[in-house]
Amino acid sequence: MSPFDTLHSAWMDWAGPTPVSEGVVLEYSRELEKFLAEIERRAFRMAQVALRDPDDALDVVQDAMLKLTKNYASRPESEWRPLFYRILENGIRDLQRRRSVRSRIMTWLPGPKEDPDNEAQDPLESVADAAIPIPEALMQGQAMQQLEASSRALPARQREAFMLRNFEGMDVAETAKTMGCSEGSVKTHYSRAVHSLREQLGEAW
Amino acid sequence: MNEREHESLEQRARMLFHDSVENLDMRMRSRLTQARHAALDAARRDRAGFKRKNWWMPAAGVTAAAVLGAVLWIGMPRGTHHALSLADAQPNLEDLDIVAASDDSGVPLEMLQDDLDFYDFADKAANVEPAA
Repeated sequence: MSPFDTLHSAWMDWAGPTPVSEGVVLEYSRELEKFLAEIERRAFRMAQVALRDPDDALDVVQDAMLKLTKNYASRPESEWRPLFYRILENGIRDLQRRRSVRSRIMTWLPGPKEDPDNEAQDPLESVADAAIPIPEALMQGQAMQQLEASSRALPARQREAFMLRNFEGMDVAETAKTMGCSEGSVKTHYSRAVHSLREQLGEAW
Repeated sequence: MNEREHESLEQRARMLFHDSVENLDMRMRSRLTQARHAALDAARRDRAGFKRKNWWMPAAGVTAAAVLGAVLWIGMPRGTHHALSLADAQPNLEDLDIVAASDDSGVPLEMLQDDLDFYDFADKAANVEPAA
């Protein structure tokens, strides 16, 4: 049999890629939806801590969801969380880079300058007054805002390690997988992050 | 700063973060749900689209490339195939260098030199007047 005959018969026998049954696809979708529903609020808050702006945070979360469902839905379920947070962190850094370029361009243009990290713009910042009793919820809100501001001031890798370990509750191994580095690096980044936060927030926090 | 202070910071940070997640306003929760559904719908559409029309495209591309290659090869005049080989297409300067640098390259000239001596000797011998 000539090579052409072999190829031809193989082509005739091949019925296209193995069809995935609707049931399996539906099961995938259901599991993925459950996973995203469970993770989305924390992911949004983590993106908001890093980016401050809620609309930007929502954009990067939605983008991460889309990329995960399109490209990695067929991966084992145990890989979804590290993959999702890696995509999310890449999105956060892309946006921060774009902001940085935009702010560099804006400095060359005339007109009022925007300062996205200006804490004084936040109305809650001016609420605190030692003479007036502050409700517990407001105190917690302020403490969270201080934590967010201090987290934003951390180097990106330290912030990432802190959020994944502390906010998301990942262990060292999963954090290392998500960040694409060794477990030793995760421990170092995390330890430095905690130390910096303690210094920035002060002992009264 | 001791270990206990760090631990208390970690605990408080975790607690505050989880409170802020729980207290996320309804508008943002709704937008997150919409984003999730949009992502899942897009993935479903992609999968359906791939099943419907796109699965044969890579195979068709490979086949087209193979057919084009075969046509070009067969259509080329016989005897010119070797002329397009990479080794032949490159200038033959290396060969020239090897010949020029070779220790053996002087051998024919030396032989020629020997021959010239011989011819010179033969010429002289022929022109010598025989002793009377």
